[in-house]
Amino acid sequence: MAQHTVKSFEDELTLLDNRIAQMGGLVERLLGQSFDALNRRDPKLAETAIASDKAIDQLQRDIDDHAILVIAKRQPVADDLRHIMAGLKIAADLERIGDFSKNIAKRALAVAGESHPKPLLLGLGHMVELALRQLKDALDAFAERDADKALAVWRDDEQLDAMYNSLFRELLTYMMEDPRNIGLSTHLLFGAKNLERIGDHTTSIAETVHYLVHGTAITDDRPKGDNTSSTLIQRG
Amino acid sequence: MNIMAPLGTTTPKLPTKIAIKDLQFYYGDNMALKGITLPLYDRHVTAFIGPSGCGKSTLLRVMNRMYDLYPGQRAVGDVMFEGENILNPKQDLNLLRSRIGMVFQKPTPFPMTIYENIAFGVRLYEKLPKADIDQRVEQSLRKAALWTEVKDKLSASGLSLSGGQQQRLCIARTVAIKPDVILFDEPCSALDPISTAKIEELIDELRSDYTIAIVTHNMQQAARVSQFTAFMYLGELIEFGETDGIFTAPKDKRTQDYITGRFG
Repeated sequence: MAQHTVKSFEDELTLLDNRIAQMGGLVERLLGQSFDALNRRDPKLAETAIASDKAIDQLQRDIDDHAILVIAKRQPVADDLRHIMAGLKIAADLERIGDFSKNIAKRALAVAGESHPKPLLLGLGHMVELALRQLKDALDAFAERDADKALAVWRDDEQLDAMYNSLFRELLTYMMEDPRNIGLSTHLLFGAKNLERIGDHTTSIAETVHYLVHGTAITDDRPKGDNTSSTLIQRG
Repeated sequence: MNIMAPLGTTTPKLPTKIAIKDLQFYYGDNMALKGITLPLYDRHVTAFIGPSGCGKSTLLRVMNRMYDLYPGQRAVGDVMFEGENILNPKQDLNLLRSRIGMVFQKPTPFPMTIYENIAFGVRLYEKLPKADIDQRVEQSLRKAALWTEVKDKLSASGLSLSGGQQQRLCIARTVAIKPDVILFDEPCSALDPISTAKIEELIDELRSDYTIAIVTHNMQQAARVSQFTAFMYLGELIEFGETDGIFTAPKDKRTQDYITGRFG
């Protein structure tokens, strides 16, 4: 891509990308720490994770201010306009992902004293792993302007939905086995729901990258895997 | 226009007012337009953008044979208007210019009263009683959004008006002879932002009655006032399409580089 005749405009766009990359890095770390805090029953780590969300929120405000200033000053069009709108939207998605991650850390605090059956956390761990990989790929797709990579992220969200479904059933079964499990299971269930929502926002980032690169929305029907809203466990 | 549909798929079948086909233009031996083909759609605004020397003003001047005034300039090809090629040497130029009017970069009022600036042109084409001419003057000034500002000083000189008012007077003068097409050659480049906004608002209103072509160096202006945009470069038409598409997702890299300010 040729450089803008006005070099400071070029710098402003680069700054936007750098801030998105920085924000993405913080969000990835927050999500990782939140799950680790839950898994290791580490309230201190949970507190650290929760506190780091403030920096993410601040970055989003910085990105908003910066983007609005660039729009006012440069009145961007075509790929520049798509670039700035993409920055705004991705920052908003990252901020939400940060909130959902923080929520997992809060649950880590709430259940720190309870016993943690390994298999249940294993399922949640797999979801975190996939959610993190998807998020990383979506952010890479943005940095590299790689619409194909974005499309792959968009398609793979189905897997996260499928994991959520199976974890949902597992947790319901566990609760039915022993009412004393209900407290922990409910927290884990909300944690799983948070991860499922994180997947949706990651998908939204992928859609934004596709629009940024091609100027068109992804038109395929996305495979939807989350059917927990209609799931019931039959009591035998 | 359905804004939810993907770009480039919404162009409805619109009636064409002027059809330009394989138009070439020469300044002496110098070829300034290298085979331009595009339509001007009826009652729509088409904007022509491109760097200086790309041929956009030349193209505009072809459409009412302005170049006939200069020896050594000639056009080859078809510019079909109402079933006739206006490049035909037998074309009645006075009649043509009454059907296809032009507004220039700098306001060019005649050194006469505001009233006469408009009545003068009307009398050239029509024999009308005084009352009818009065009415036409008022109508035209209203159309050009100038009436309330000048109705009490119609006998003042056209040159006593501000630049923005003078430009609207020129638009009133053009409108008064009831053309079908109005060509604007950078109509706002000598005006302040308020006057510019008034002219843009006016162009938007005139669109319901006229087919409009506008040459502008102001990218945002092209984006604001037009429904179709043509990007020209070095005498060629690089991209033509709906303005919404050109300014959000242009197809040609040269268009993109130009409108985003990356042109070398």
